[in-house]
Amino acid sequence: MFERFTRAARLVVVQAQEEARQRKADEIRTEHLLAAFYAVPDADAPDDLAPAVLERFGVGRDEVLRAVDRVHASSGIDAEALSTIGIDLDEVRRQVEEAFGPGALDRTRAASGKKGGRLFGHIPFEGPAKKALQLALREAIALGHNHIGTEHILLGLLHSDEGAAHHILAAHGVRLAPARAVVRDLVGRREAG
Amino acid sequence: MSDATKVAAAASSRDPAVGLAAVASLRKLLESLEELQVSNARAQGWSWQQIADALQVSRQAVHKKYRRYGF
Repeated sequence: MFERFTRAARLVVVQAQEEARQRKADEIRTEHLLAAFYAVPDADAPDDLAPAVLERFGVGRDEVLRAVDRVHASSGIDAEALSTIGIDLDEVRRQVEEAFGPGALDRTRAASGKKGGRLFGHIPFEGPAKKALQLALREAIALGHNHIGTEHILLGLLHSDEGAAHHILAAHGVRLAPARAVVRDLVGRREAG
Repeated sequence: MSDATKVAAAASSRDPAVGLAAVASLRKLLESLEELQVSNARAQGWSWQQIADALQVSRQAVHKKYRRYGF
């Protein structure tokens, strides 16, 4: 199914694996696809429209990446439960990050809820992430586009109601129907210009 | 402690569901912090024995737990 993917979309799929690996996840999940939109350098992928679509909704790189990291942080360690015994998880995280860098606490294998993690080798796509890629194809066809770009992967993430990416996007006010309209507009402009 | 935290603690101190959830999260937090610190100690050239002494556990225990992490 990847033959119609643009260069940027292919890079996002590849980068999603790296995003999963960095977070010690044993599957590539929808939030890793979302984070991958921001990891592909513009120079490598001038046709990468997903960040521009999100920009139209006032959603920027930093808030997306923070939300993705929170998904990982929330797997296992419950800030609210800790607050009942007087532990401020945000403060612990802040102190740890001061010493060990951003995301240090959330990137531990213990926090990711997995004993092993896969440091090397192939990480499989989980069901909802795979489905989002299939839906990207359907979104492209429905819009009459003959390529599948990162903007269509974004629509695929919105179309599927499974997966953390959908919830992150919904929480930031990004919905499928208006996002389709934005994609149509941006792709139309690019093809006109 | 923030006001919200005080309220939460006062409201829930006798509720096992809340207390146990706090313990479970604390255990996970502990595991994360230990992993970070062991990794850092190894990166700074500490031996398994030194790490075990500081953690007050046996060398075997700490080595067995973290060896496969490649620290």
